[in-house]
Amino acid sequence: MTKKVYGVFLVLVIALAMAFSGCTDTSGEEQKSVETIKIETTTTYIVGIDGEYPPYAYIDTDGNPTGFDVDSIKWIAEKMGFEVEIIPVAWDSIIPSLQAGKIDMVYSGMTITEERAEQVNFSIPYWKVNQTVAKHDDTSYTMDDFMSGEYVVGAQSGTTGAFWVEENLIDTGIMPAENLKNTYSSFPSAAADLENKRVDFIIYDKPPMLEAIEGKPLSIIGEIDTNEEYGVAIRKSDPELLETVNDGITMLMEDTYWDELKVQYGMVD
Amino acid sequence: MDNLTFIAEILLPALLTGLVVTIQLIVVSAPFGILAGIGVAVGRTYGGKIPSFLCKVFVMFVKGCPLLLLLFILYFTLPSIGITFTAFQASVIGFIMCNAAYNSEYIRGAIKSVKEGQIIAARSLGMTKYQSIFYIVLPQALRRAIPGLSNEFIYLIKYSSLAFMLTLVELTGAGKLIATKYFTYTETFIFVGAIYLVLVTITTIGAGMIEKKYAIPGAQGR
Repeated sequence: MTKKVYGVFLVLVIALAMAFSGCTDTSGEEQKSVETIKIETTTTYIVGIDGEYPPYAYIDTDGNPTGFDVDSIKWIAEKMGFEVEIIPVAWDSIIPSLQAGKIDMVYSGMTITEERAEQVNFSIPYWKVNQTVAKHDDTSYTMDDFMSGEYVVGAQSGTTGAFWVEENLIDTGIMPAENLKNTYSSFPSAAADLENKRVDFIIYDKPPMLEAIEGKPLSIIGEIDTNEEYGVAIRKSDPELLETVNDGITMLMEDTYWDELKVQYGMVD
Repeated sequence: MDNLTFIAEILLPALLTGLVVTIQLIVVSAPFGILAGIGVAVGRTYGGKIPSFLCKVFVMFVKGCPLLLLLFILYFTLPSIGITFTAFQASVIGFIMCNAAYNSEYIRGAIKSVKEGQIIAARSLGMTKYQSIFYIVLPQALRRAIPGLSNEFIYLIKYSSLAFMLTLVELTGAGKLIATKYFTYTETFIFVGAIYLVLVTITTIGAGMIEKKYAIPGAQGR
């Protein structure tokens, strides 16, 4: 009996040893081949976007990433001579994904803030936006009601709209903290909750807000002048890429394609 | 801000509020999950053709549907037909359905392990069908189902974190909000994980005690 057990054990050990030795061999080869490819062809950078942030970055009906920012980086990549792969990442963990090297940049309408700038580098600003507040058409709330802090406000987790409410309404004691629902993982779900009247207001950057409320019984009642600037976030340890992207953005904004893009995504007032 | 003040003044208070919500979710869901599980198991084993079929369909539906999807349906889809649950209600209903479906399978297995001769014996003593189920079969079956049920209870503790997807700030959600705001992913998630581990450990010990206390006399070691 014991001999049999030892036999089985021995077989397992050998199998494991073989499996692991196999692992190291192949991974070694893979690494080598990746390196050679890098030398032969251009570098590929992985660009992280919020998959539900139209018109800047979103996934179209065919499942391809598209949008103002996506087209911008594709154009920049072509001019600056690198390849890009665009992947959607959960917005509230997009900066850690960048820091962990899962993506190489965030080009998805990210507002430049002090807190974020402590974690990552930002390119030159390429766009300016304000926050907007929307309500359900069945209600007659005004901006004064929004500012009174007595009503429930919905916002996507980790967005500047949520931060604005925290800093200007909650931290000042105007609004009780439980009136801010900043737990939505995507903005469309916050808009859905306004449609279901679970929240009284939603707050978000203006252009994606317009997209989110289109065709729904929701309307924008006011704008908050935050004058936020969008920039591309890049790892602090990657200053060369920052320079390349900065040059690319400067080039893009001087090109006629920049105006074409603005028209294509309906961003001219 | 150094790490210790961050943990003591920001992280732990936030996690504590989240923990309260997690415990509320579990305490409300678990008893109904067990009761409904017993109902479904009995209905499936002893109910006539139609109740048995309905119970089978219910279990199939819940098993086949990811819990997250079920929660989304309860929260985001039902308002379109006029049923609007709060995030807490939707989560609890979803958890009870899921918990009941899996519990019913553990209980059904335990019911099947009770020899049929016992029902025949009970009936011959003049008990009705339901008397023999409730006084003879279930007391034995439920005891045998304890390990399975406690397992499902532990799952409930962990899948209660899905309530965050319906905007409810429970333990995981509270941790995620703090982690996002202060960029402290490692510290935060280590603490969140430790709290879940404590909850699960308490449950495991508790279930062991219940199992011992309600062990069928003379049936040990079988």
